[in-house]
Amino acid sequence: MNTQWLDAYAHLDSLLHRWEPRSKLIALVGLLFAFAAISDVRLVPVMLALSIALYAMSRLPLTFLLSRLRYPGALLLVFVGVLPFIAGEQVVLRVGLLALHHEGLLLALLTSARFAAILTTSLVLFGTTAFLTIVRTLAMLGVPALLVDMLFFFYRYLATIAENLSTMQRAMHLRGFRARRPDWRTITMLAALAGSLLIRSYEQSERVYQAMRLRGYGHTPPVRHQHQSRAHPHDRLLFGGTLACAGALVAANSLLLAL
Amino acid sequence: MHIAEGMLPVAVCVAGYGTMAATTWYTLRKLNQQPDPRAGIPKASLLAAGFFVLSLISIPIPPASVHLILGGLMGILLGWYAFPAILVALFFQAVMFQHGGLTTLGVNATVIGAPALLAHLAFQAAKHLKVAAPGQRLGVGITGLLIGSMTLFIEVLLFYGVLLLSVRFQAAVNAALEQAALTTAVVAYLPLMLLEGLFTAMVLLFLLRVSPALLGMQPAAAAPTRATATERPAEHPAEQGEPV
Repeated sequence: MNTQWLDAYAHLDSLLHRWEPRSKLIALVGLLFAFAAISDVRLVPVMLALSIALYAMSRLPLTFLLSRLRYPGALLLVFVGVLPFIAGEQVVLRVGLLALHHEGLLLALLTSARFAAILTTSLVLFGTTAFLTIVRTLAMLGVPALLVDMLFFFYRYLATIAENLSTMQRAMHLRGFRARRPDWRTITMLAALAGSLLIRSYEQSERVYQAMRLRGYGHTPPVRHQHQSRAHPHDRLLFGGTLACAGALVAANSLLLAL
Repeated sequence: MHIAEGMLPVAVCVAGYGTMAATTWYTLRKLNQQPDPRAGIPKASLLAAGFFVLSLISIPIPPASVHLILGGLMGILLGWYAFPAILVALFFQAVMFQHGGLTTLGVNATVIGAPALLAHLAFQAAKHLKVAAPGQRLGVGITGLLIGSMTLFIEVLLFYGVLLLSVRFQAAVNAALEQAALTTAVVAYLPLMLLEGLFTAMVLLFLLRVSPALLGMQPAAAAPTRATATERPAEHPAEQGEPV
């Protein structure tokens, strides 16, 4: 499992790449929640236009967006496919026992648009910032040290453990194991594989912990990540502009619902 | 079993973050009561990474295949660390695979993490009642089967409960169809619950035989293992009856 691609486009140069991480994280997460708050279909074009504009500003390749949309998009399709049948009262079309509802269709459209806008914006956030910078920024914003440490460890050892699993699976394969059906033997073998991997991870963690103890881990209070980078005028402009857009969207949504 | 971006109204997303924050606060409080809470971080993180990787193993059920969630096993092995570990794994999944999402992170963490904590409490109760003990292979197996299945059952109920609640939040829902959808979902998951329970039981029996310290147990006197062979004194919380 290669985790390097996470930062594949973090080195590009764009206004969003240069945006100071702390204000970028706060502003873009604020915008994500503003998108989630949209419940009026008339705001769908505005929401999509905003997310597309942000993506264009980030200079991330379109193939990156399309490849990341594919898997969660397939899961979402199942949900929005069911919505018109279970939600709503005004029948548009009746197919046998099933009825297609107007409100359900609108909700499916709204859900799909929210999904696309939120996912595109979150890709802008994670595509233009290195993963470790995101974790350090979370620490600066007051996320507990235990969670931050766990994130660092998780990120550091995920590929190693995935490689362990891959080696063990290859060894099983070479000894003739093929998982074809969920019979007793297959489950026993896979359970032994899972148990062995967990024991390996546990033993490795013991070695890692002992090595870290020797280097002082646990003897000193957790390091608080200090805010070092200085905010430039363009950071303030992007921060203010993004949050203003988020606020305007939420206000427009409330206004349209009240009308 | 992840709720994707955009599927929930913002009120449910915010409520999810509320329950996630409260549960995180409670679990961190429990962990901070341990003599050295940071001692368990590498173990919890590496085991969480192990679970993350294991969830990618597919079990063939022709013509398709399924992936296990192993929430019950995580609760049993990680104890109070299970919730932060699941939170970290879900955050990583949202960033890496766009599986789940940032706005739905709170709800997803609650749906998967809270049953894992219940699994931890259930396993501790089974140990306290001596149902799950080093010499009791049948007891450990049945405990694993029940915890594995019931954890997934609670996850399924929470997952579909949140989804249906969210749809109801945004539009009128046909009550009969809603009931039918929930029943169909639970029935469809029944074989998977059985499989998850069976898998959990078999992994527990494997660990009981090979590395009982991982379950917070001393090896049975009748069945010496590597831990007894070295006659190493119990120095880690896991070996003194506490999960890592």
